[in-house]
This record gives sequence, structure tokens and C-alpha cells, in this order.
Amino acid sequence: MTHGSAVRTAWAPASATGWTVTVVEPSAPDTAAAIDFSAMDDAALVTASVEGRREAFDLIVERHRRTVYQVCYRFVSNHEDASDLSQESFVRAWRGLKNFKGQSALSTWLYRIAVNVCLNRVSVKTPATAPIESTDHFEDTRIEGAQAALLREERAAAVRKAIASLPKKQRATLILRTYHDLSHQQIADILGSSVGATKANFFHALANLKKILGNEP
Amino acid sequence: MTHLTTDELVDALEGALTSERQAHLDACEPCQVQLAELDTVLGETRTVTVPEPSPLYWEHLSARVRTAIDAEPPAAGGWSSWLRWPVLAPIAALAMIVMALAVAVPREPMTAPEVAVSELPGDATLDDSFAIVADLVGDMDWDTAMSAGLTVEPGDADLAVLELTVAEQQELTRLLQAELTRAKS
Repeated sequence: MTHGSAVRTAWAPASATGWTVTVVEPSAPDTAAAIDFSAMDDAALVTASVEGRREAFDLIVERHRRTVYQVCYRFVSNHEDASDLSQESFVRAWRGLKNFKGQSALSTWLYRIAVNVCLNRVSVKTPATAPIESTDHFEDTRIEGAQAALLREERAAAVRKAIASLPKKQRATLILRTYHDLSHQQIADILGSSVGATKANFFHALANLKKILGNEP
Repeated sequence: MTHLTTDELVDALEGALTSERQAHLDACEPCQVQLAELDTVLGETRTVTVPEPSPLYWEHLSARVRTAIDAEPPAAGGWSSWLRWPVLAPIAALAMIVMALAVAVPREPMTAPEVAVSELPGDATLDDSFAIVADLVGDMDWDTAMSAGLTVEPGDADLAVLELTVAEQQELTRLLQAELTRAKS
């Protein structure tokens, strides 16, 4: 028996006794099609997500997935781990969304989650080496400059390895400042430190990189 | 004048040095050397790029996130956590006792409320009303019952006890004590 028929059956005797029965259909819930989530800003998407709108959270993921992936990649230097960490970052964001008060931008909050996820993972699973991606196209030595490109890529791998060896906060500061152009204040908010500490971390990260790379052949 | 501090060297790297300290930097070779070394390392660091994944990858990542969230257990503290038997059983038992008392204990006649309410028609009985309610909720699912306010919320049992008359509360106490004594024996 459907709800509608159940209601009619149940109220039929009551109607017969002289009551005036008015059955009001519940208002139809908003359908996803009726709401243009793409027009919403991040704050509105967060509100909609907390209210259970999965489509809104899907859009949050869509807007920020590239940035989150790139942060994760900077920490682990390989696609598979970066994918896993990105997924974990968004799942944690979903879990914690109702606690997001909007005191910082959603992107800053997501940065914080991603950095924490990466630092936790990296502390457990520090990459032994930073792989050189896609070196296949450098194998054709007939192409002039291929050797230089290979050397460049090897140097990039050495830089990645050097970054991976930095202490956690220096590494996070360097990544967020150099590759994501965040201000020292934003980085301080993300890492829970002061602007002074962030600048000191940035300086020491560069000084350590200079030392490490200076010893590279 | 003192050499640039680490903070000031970072400011200098980012072009944010004060004019006074910039004047020192312009005249101080050790600071210039240190800044140049940092600038070189920073420049080299910036050249390291993240390989761009396949264009199809981004949708794949979104799908992975969706799947992972779907597999998440319901949030703790939500209404579903109240559906567990260890929570529901005592509430149900207390509710049954309260209902039994409400029927069994004689109560003083209540004065009619001043707010006008619909009266039952002459041939409608209490049983008919229960039949209507039972028929209405018979095949109702949990979500529908929740939205209709028909479910037991946390604290409802406490409120129900508070609404009992003194005589009812005494009877409830007596019944609970008897039940406890019986359980011990």
C-alpha cells in the first residue's frame, strides 16, 4: 500500500462521520535540477553540503581538486600517492564540513587539511627517492637538446628529493609559498604558527636546500 | 648597521624590504651574497613542475571521492546512532511503563483547555482514533516518521516522566523498585 492510499483509507471513516478532512500533500523537496549549484560561491556550497546536498560537495571537489592534488604531489612526488592523499583530504573535509565556520576561505581550510594529511602520511611513509616522471620521451638522443633536458629533469628530481628531506614545517612552508603563492599570513594560519615563524621556516628551507643541492654532483 | 636578519632576507627576496634596510643591503656585500644564493635556490626550486595528469583523471578523482564518502559510516551523534538497541531498549521500556501508568492510574478530571479544539464526532471512539493513526503509520518508513515528528527523540522519556502527576511518579518509582528487586532475585 502506498502512503497516499493509506492516508485515503485511514481517513475515509473519519470523513464519513462528518469531519472536514483536508489532506495536504507535503511540498516536494527541491530537486537538484532546480538548484543551480554552479552559481553558488564556496560558502553557499558548504551550507548546502552540510544540509546533505551531495551535489554541492561534488562541486567543491571539482573546484578544488587540482589545487589539492598539486599540494599532495609536491609532498610525495608521485601520482598514485598524490591521488590517495587527495581523496583522503576530501573525505576528511566531508567529515569536518559541519565544523567549518567560514572564518577562513574554504581553499585555506582545504589547504590545511591536505597539508596535515600529507605531513601525517609522509611521516609514516617517507619517499626514499623522488622518481623522474616520464623519462621515455628523453630517450631519443638524436634530438638535439635531449641530453640537456635529461640533465634538467635529473636536477629537478634532485630538488624534489631535497625538498622531501626537509623538516616538516620547512617543507610545508616552502611548498605553499613557492608553488602556491600563499602569503606568510595564510601559511601561518594553515600551519598554526606565526608569520615570524613562517618566514624563519622559509629562510631555513632555502638555506637547507642550498646546502643539500650544493653537495649534489 | 647590523646585517639583514632571516626575516629581512625573506622580505628582500620578495621585494618587501623597508627602504632603510634596502639602503643597508645596497651597501653590504655579505648580505648581497647571501641574498643572491637564496635567490638562486629559490629560482631553481620554482622550475620544478607538477606533471599534469590526463584530462580524464579529474573526473576519476571526483568519482573516487564520491565512492569513498558513500562508504563512510554515518556521522556519530546523528539520529541513526539512537537506533541501536542498547539505547532504544531502555527508552522503549520506560515509555511502556509510562503508558501503562497513564491508563491504569486514576487521574483527576482535567479542565478543558481554553484553546478551542476539534471534538470527536459522536460515534468516533478512542479506538477508532488509534486505528487511524496505526493505519497511517503502518507502512511509514523511518525518514517519513522523522519528518512527521513521530519518533522518540533523545530526552523525550525524561520529559514524559516530568509530566507525570505526583501519584504517577510514586507509582512509577514503586514499579521500578519492584522490577529491580525482581531482577536482583
